[in-house]
Amino acid sequence: MLADEVVDCHVLVIGSGGAGVRAAIEASQYGDTVLISKTIVGKGGCTTMAEGGYNAVLREQDSCGIHFEDTLKGGAYLNDPELVNILVKEAPLRMGDLIKWGAVFDFTENDEVAQRPFGGQQFPRTCYAGDRTGHEMMTTLVERLDSSNVSSLQEFTVLDLLKNGESVIGAIALDEKGNIVLLKADSTVLATGGGTKVYDISTNSSSGTGDGFAIGYRAGAELIDMEMIQFHPTGAVFPYDARGRLVTEAVRGEGGLLLNNICERFMKQYDPERMELSTRDVVARAIATEIQAGRGTKNGGVYLDVTHLPREQIETRLPVMLEQFLKFGVDIRNQPMEVAPTAHHIMGGLRITTECRTTLSGLFACGEVAGGVHGANRLGGNALAETQVFGKRAGEFAGKSEKRIKKVDSEQIKRKLAYIDAFLTGSENPAGVRTLLQQSMWQGAGIFRNATDLNKTLRIVNNLSLAPIRAESLRNLAECCIVRNMCLTASLICRSALIRKESRGAHLRVDIHQTHDAIHSPFLHTFMSPFREGIENIGGLA
Amino acid sequence: MRKITARVYRFDKEKDREAHFEEYTVEVNEGARVLHLLHAIHDTLDPTLSYRYCCGSGQCGSCAVRVNREPVLACMEEARDKITIEPLNLPVKKDLVVDLVPTLETIASLKPSDAQKMPKKSDIDAIKPLRDCIECLCCVSVCPAMDVIKFLGPTAMRQEMRLALDPRNIDDRITAAVQEGLFTCTSCQACWKVCPKEIEIPGKAIEKLRYFANKKGLTLPRHQEVAALVKETGRSVTRIEPTFMELMNADVIEPTGPVKATVGFFIGCMYNMRLPKTALDAIEVLRRNGIRVIIPKEQICCGSPLIRTGQLAFLDTLKKRNIDAFWNRHIDTVMTMCAGCGSTLKNDYKTPFVVMDINEVLTKYGIEPPERLPVRATYHDPCHLLRGQGIYDQPRQLIRQVVDLIDMPSICCGSGGGVKSGMPEEAAALGERRGEEIKKTGADIVISSCPFCEFHIAGHTDKPVKNITTLLLEGYKEKDRKTRTLTDPPGN
Ligand SMILES: Cc1cc2nc3c(=O)[nH]c(=O)nc-3n(C[C@H](O)[C@H](O)[C@H](O)COP(=O)(O)OP(=O)(O)OC[C@H]3O[C@@H](n4cnc5c(N)ncnc54)[C@H](O)[C@@H]3O)c2cc1C
Ligand code: SF4
Ligand code: SF4
Ligand code: FES
Repeated sequence: MLADEVVDCHVLVIGSGGAGVRAAIEASQYGDTVLISKTIVGKGGCTTMAEGGYNAVLREQDSCGIHFEDTLKGGAYLNDPELVNILVKEAPLRMGDLIKWGAVFDFTENDEVAQRPFGGQQFPRTCYAGDRTGHEMMTTLVERLDSSNVSSLQEFTVLDLLKNGESVIGAIALDEKGNIVLLKADSTVLATGGGTKVYDISTNSSSGTGDGFAIGYRAGAELIDMEMIQFHPTGAVFPYDARGRLVTEAVRGEGGLLLNNICERFMKQYDPERMELSTRDVVARAIATEIQAGRGTKNGGVYLDVTHLPREQIETRLPVMLEQFLKFGVDIRNQPMEVAPTAHHIMGGLRITTECRTTLSGLFACGEVAGGVHGANRLGGNALAETQVFGKRAGEFAGKSEKRIKKVDSEQIKRKLAYIDAFLTGSENPAGVRTLLQQSMWQGAGIFRNATDLNKTLRIVNNLSLAPIRAESLRNLAECCIVRNMCLTASLICRSALIRKESRGAHLRVDIHQTHDAIHSPFLHTFMSPFREGIENIGGLA
Repeated sequence: MRKITARVYRFDKEKDREAHFEEYTVEVNEGARVLHLLHAIHDTLDPTLSYRYCCGSGQCGSCAVRVNREPVLACMEEARDKITIEPLNLPVKKDLVVDLVPTLETIASLKPSDAQKMPKKSDIDAIKPLRDCIECLCCVSVCPAMDVIKFLGPTAMRQEMRLALDPRNIDDRITAAVQEGLFTCTSCQACWKVCPKEIEIPGKAIEKLRYFANKKGLTLPRHQEVAALVKETGRSVTRIEPTFMELMNADVIEPTGPVKATVGFFIGCMYNMRLPKTALDAIEVLRRNGIRVIIPKEQICCGSPLIRTGQLAFLDTLKKRNIDAFWNRHIDTVMTMCAGCGSTLKNDYKTPFVVMDINEVLTKYGIEPPERLPVRATYHDPCHLLRGQGIYDQPRQLIRQVVDLIDMPSICCGSGGGVKSGMPEEAAALGERRGEEIKKTGADIVISSCPFCEFHIAGHTDKPVKNITTLLLEGYKEKDRKTRTLTDPPGN
């Protein structure tokens, strides 16, 4: 396990989801670019799994101003307005890139990109490719990547960023066999996606373990709003092992009804006006409340019923849902689905500028690992747009950055080697630690939060992060590092959740009595780095 | 929770000289998938087990493995007791992890250009069905052609077709596809039957690309000769001996006993002109089992050799003539005996009548039990019967009434898709592989139910190759012989 493999490049992009691949394509115009990711390019991350769509203003009747307004309102005014401004202005341009590169989005009869309505938006501006939009984007991006001169390192797990003084000069990684590789770069782009896998029930892919938050934090970057976790109201509950799998919002859009075990449309208790089509946070809380009150199903969910809809509507509009549930023995044309909330998206992340610069020199961030775009709650369709808009920017500004002296700090490498070596003589099963972490987070830092439970969870998480987990072989080292990353990300969530003493967007503190609404909140971002943590107040720091 | 035992393929290139299987018993939850079974093994018994996954919901194509030899997505396939889990048929990196990247890299991509035209809705609608591919490589794992000849494989062809349909593409994808092995595909249908996204690559990509190739004048010379012959004679092979139709002087054949059903008989070029004796055997078996057979003389080639090779110019004429031949005589059930014709009539025609394969007819109406023969047989599944028509049980049911059956894996023999004529070395290589499989079974004879397979396999095994109906007839003859010796007065 010698650190003799060294790659030297101009831009290193970490993560091959929508944001990472977009960044690499852009950066490659400025110099040698290396794309590294722990999965095969195109197969990893959550972008491939996105079903619903991509928000972009494309029609005369719509405007960037309205998209801006919708996004801020959805985000409970916690969003960074400058980032939102960039998002809404550039989303259509980046959509244009995708179409130019061969994307096969659904078209209207007028040969324009089709758009559908999505929650919280005043105009139907969500572009889609059936219900496999993210997959379509990834396929297109990977095809485009093929005609660039980016080199890809696939199935390499990045452990940490390399530092030269205060600057980031690349990363240290493990290949699939457990060999250490050093990657030196003038600029490094972090595009590792989200991390709701720290919860027991999650929609994320296996790579959504929050590595980027942990890696960034350890390197000294500042993260904001890590308490802002979006719980999607409808995740599957059966089969148990596939719990959390996303049941798309389109089911309710098509007219699906939410029923409890006494066949009551319970949404009338929570939002009589919008009923099932209320916002994600409201519906998620309503479902969680019904289940807690004992009105849930035997498998621990509530019913989501489309049996009253014409069979043909189900077959043509919800084909993937029909197919997936059929595979699991449920014919949604005749039987209701069972659903419960699932951890979906992390709105918080590394603090970035409009040029995707983090607080560390040499480090850029884009995609779900960056914070600030979505504020306290993300609108459906804005994350895919974010990957392209900020992926391009990160690649561009990283590419345009100066060459720098990349002097590897041998002490840092030694420390890291000692850190991972310890896993080989560890004693505890990492899978057990991971399960405990996920369950504790779900119980104590989930939808309903209070200081007592958050403190308790934080203690558990901190203990788990000290567990002497064992790597059975060199190939298992990455898994151990990832479990540690999950622990760190979980602790960032708990700590930020404790600091934000208000309910806002997706963050609900049941132990705090509050008189202000989101728009009148005295608070701004929570922030967290190894050097400082706290919450910004309107007019200064708290 | 329930207990599941599975055999799992283990191989570490660095440590093991050869692969071995390990048996594990673990507890999984109700409804668990193969992936969850692997998680349970990894998390509780053996953390060194390597396997790949990511989305867990059938969307990324990382997790394909073979379960009881069939490629599946581990995250979607239900975990059952006593299964065997193996990697795909690709170079193994470790355990269930195969090297996907070299194959993925061969798949063509759209070259960016400023000169491109934007697609219209009609283009998008045409491309979409080919776009669902998650590049899991299940199809590549089963493609027989790729095993014996240079061919980029089914999903690469799918992508070439997708590009060929896109106005944003500026390259000549057709010539590229031909160079990448377009004409090596045997039309075995294996790829799309295992495709988790059910992308019909042979019909929707390969045959279409061959059609485009035809328009560019790239059809193989041997295939052009066949098309010329069909055009001239209505048949895809030349006459070298009296044909079945010539040998049958009546066009309605009455059964010996009471009539159980009436069918029109679509004979097909091969049984008519190359294996007429086999067709006569079939007639005997049908007569004995109460099937009244009508043989309209106007029928001609079904067009399969043209469709599979992309030569569609006068296909509609053929179709019309064949449909009229039967429909004018008010026939409501047409029986095929050739697997290829059956698959073509069922899948490429819109017929006003029902089409049934002879195996379906015989099992539907039931047969008189033949005498058992003291030989062991193996059965070769014709691609166009098994995958083209979904017929698996019926021939086995029939065979088991006569002889003991030893199964062998269902793999293409190499005779289809115009490969035998156009790519003879490939067909021979695939035939040899079948010969080896046959040898492994230890069977005395090989049974099949397709003239192409019977003809081709016979050249690659030293065992006799027989049609199912010939076997049944032998059973009946033996039965008759025995009854005769029983009833004949002794010492006569
Ligand atoms: C089921 C589902 C459906 C969704 N639907 C929608 C939708 O319809 N519309 C919408 O706008 N948003 C949707 N989202 C959200 C959106 O998909 C994601 O926010 C977005 O795709 C994130 O993109 P990304 O490029 O930042 O990260 P990802 O696509 O998650 O990619 C992360 C990459 O980083 C790599 N990586 C991670 N850690 C490491 C490491 N340590 N070393 C090396 N590589 C690493 C991974 O392998 C992966 O390649 C959905 C999310 C989910 C889970
Ligand atoms: S065509 Fe089907 S089987 Fe082949 S790689 Fe694509 S999804 Fe998999
Ligand atoms: S039909 Fe058979 S030979 Fe042709 S591509 Fe598919 S698997 Fe390969
Ligand atoms: S894990 Fe993605 S398809 Fe199975």
